[in-house]
Amino acid sequence: MSLATIEIRRAKLRFGLLTGAVALLVFLILFMQTLSGQLLKEFIGGIRNQSAEVLVYGAEARRSIEGSIVTPGDVDAVAKVPGVGQSAPLGENTFTVQVNGGESKDATIFGYELGGPGAPTTLTSGRLPNADGEAVAADGAGVSFKIGDTVQVRPGGYEIAVVGLARDASFNVQPTLFASFPTYEQAVRSQNPEATIILPTLVAVEPAPGISPTELAKRINEQVQGVEALDRDTAVASLPGVASITQSFNLILLLAFIVVVLVTGFFFLILTVQKIQSLILLRAIGASTGYLLRNLLLQVVLVTVGATAAAAILLVFAAANSSADFQVSADPVLILGTGTAVLVLAVMASIGSIRRVARLDPAAATQRMAGGGLA
Amino acid sequence: MKIAWRELTRKPSRFLTAGGALTLLTVLLLLLGGLLDGLYLSATAAIRAQSAQVVVYSADSRDSLLRSRIDPATSQQIAEVDGVQSVSGFGVALLGARVPGQSDLADVSVFGYEAANAQVPAPLPTGQAYADESLKASGIALGQTVWVGPARTPVTVEGWVSDTAYLFQGGLWANEETWRTVLNENRPDAALPPGTWQVALVDTHGNADPARVASAIESQVPEVSALTKEEAIAALPGVKEQASTFTSIIGTTFVVAGLVVALFFALLTLERIGLFGVLKAIGAGSRTLAAGLVLQAFAISAGAFVLGTVLTIGMAAVIPPEVPVQLLPRRALITAVGLIITALVGSAISFRRIIRIDPASAVGGS
Repeated sequence: MSLATIEIRRAKLRFGLLTGAVALLVFLILFMQTLSGQLLKEFIGGIRNQSAEVLVYGAEARRSIEGSIVTPGDVDAVAKVPGVGQSAPLGENTFTVQVNGGESKDATIFGYELGGPGAPTTLTSGRLPNADGEAVAADGAGVSFKIGDTVQVRPGGYEIAVVGLARDASFNVQPTLFASFPTYEQAVRSQNPEATIILPTLVAVEPAPGISPTELAKRINEQVQGVEALDRDTAVASLPGVASITQSFNLILLLAFIVVVLVTGFFFLILTVQKIQSLILLRAIGASTGYLLRNLLLQVVLVTVGATAAAAILLVFAAANSSADFQVSADPVLILGTGTAVLVLAVMASIGSIRRVARLDPAAATQRMAGGGLA
Repeated sequence: MKIAWRELTRKPSRFLTAGGALTLLTVLLLLLGGLLDGLYLSATAAIRAQSAQVVVYSADSRDSLLRSRIDPATSQQIAEVDGVQSVSGFGVALLGARVPGQSDLADVSVFGYEAANAQVPAPLPTGQAYADESLKASGIALGQTVWVGPARTPVTVEGWVSDTAYLFQGGLWANEETWRTVLNENRPDAALPPGTWQVALVDTHGNADPARVASAIESQVPEVSALTKEEAIAALPGVKEQASTFTSIIGTTFVVAGLVVALFFALLTLERIGLFGVLKAIGAGSRTLAAGLVLQAFAISAGAFVLGTVLTIGMAAVIPPEVPVQLLPRRALITAVGLIITALVGSAISFRRIIRIDPASAVGGS
């Protein structure tokens, strides 16, 4: 057993408290990353994983899909812009639905022109809809679809059959269906029979070969009044809430990382200062600087790895107990990546201690009264 | 106690680490709390502003304001339930508005309402509205006409109201006709016929329990969901989930603060064992030494809280507007009390070691 592990065994409280504090901080970092990652995935998947590379909003929408409507005139005008390969209306709305007559849930329904842009791109089983009343479903908010499920829109009772399943394609953290535009219209009429006209939410556009989505969006904005065209990546980044979720969580993560560095760095520095006389004595009786540094670094590694392991267990526990409507899972890659980052930062934070150990003068032991030296 | 205080004032560097970590944890706690409060207040203000005690939705709406429909016949049935004093209609349309002289559009929640509430006076004549003060940031001014939605429906701002936003969009409070025109022109898929509102707001008789009235409405009126005001606030999208998630993160951060204090006081105590032995040898009791430790923990956590609060206020001023942080005195008070209690509990970890110090160790007896 090395000097490092013997010291840890004899100072269980100190090392236990440090490991506990770092473990909770690493857990916070892991939990917040898991939460924001899952939130963003379920929030934007429906847009990221559909086939239209350019999306055209009504100008008043301020890049909010819920706030957008476009007129048939807008759809026609966009289709005439040079560089547009395919374009078609795309509808989106939130509905109350029952799956196989079960409990009511909120669900997003996208309506796209079958064979045109706006179809889901991450089909995992089944097929894309080829008739009205059919849909591809994406899981979300605790709803797991199966092929053959019947989704009934409430009120009104309009029924949609699930014919395919897609992954990572939910929108607004809700279960999501991709159906034909007429199916979407029927769903809106089922929910609100008083609806006077059902206008498309967006225009979904596929660029012609040789033209980039960014260039095409620019052309549409220049040539069509009253709309705002965005390439898919910009549309995803501009969705209301995406920037605030990302920035809020990044700020909190940054602070948590700083606290880890501060606590770990100063703990080992104080410990080194407290042990300085003993370390000098060890140097005087032949222990090399490398040996002492290896022991110090071993302690840093043991504390960090122990803390990351404890944090991972806490994350698995938190994931297992997460709400059915918003399930999170412990991602081993995330745990490994965060653990490595914390380890690197902890080693860097220990530079103060490393420098002190490296500068120890063995001759100072002769001035150590307890060791028989002269002060 | 005096020695503990003098140690703090003469050797503050000894406590820098614990103080620094606690300061950062205070910033973390205040930002997390500020974020929770900001999200909650910006999303729920319009419902909190209601003086009605019960909100009635259509059953299939899953308590969503935007999907609910209450027709005149249903409103009449609600009005006849025991405990109901009055029923009024309420609805919202979430849209963009063009503001004269501004290049950016303003996000607005256009509310239609029939009766005054705690924040908004009785409705103005058709075409006019009260605007939430948060819309001043979008360039909206008194007497100005804004053009709402793709149909550019004109609405003139005739007064200011405060704390009435809904789902982060500032409110424009208008009468039934104005609201219905805005809704039907700009959201034809959500159009409603005259007399039909999204929800019914119910004022209960003075001594009636709102929960009981809500329950009576649900049992006597078919196809409705009646919620108390508090339940309606919790039913808003994301409110419950945000509160439980942030509360868990804040709770864990408090535990981290306690562990950090425990850790650093354990290290400090270890460093001062010889000194404590001498103090005990000349008559100081374990209780006196422990009290000194508690005093130091209190002073460090209080100082860290003050410094952390100043830093957070500074950070809040430069945080991008997309991050809805709101720093409230109530949240600061809760954080201060929580931090001090956690620090005191953390420092108590070292009591056992102090009690076990043998005064004889001062003369080499250990």
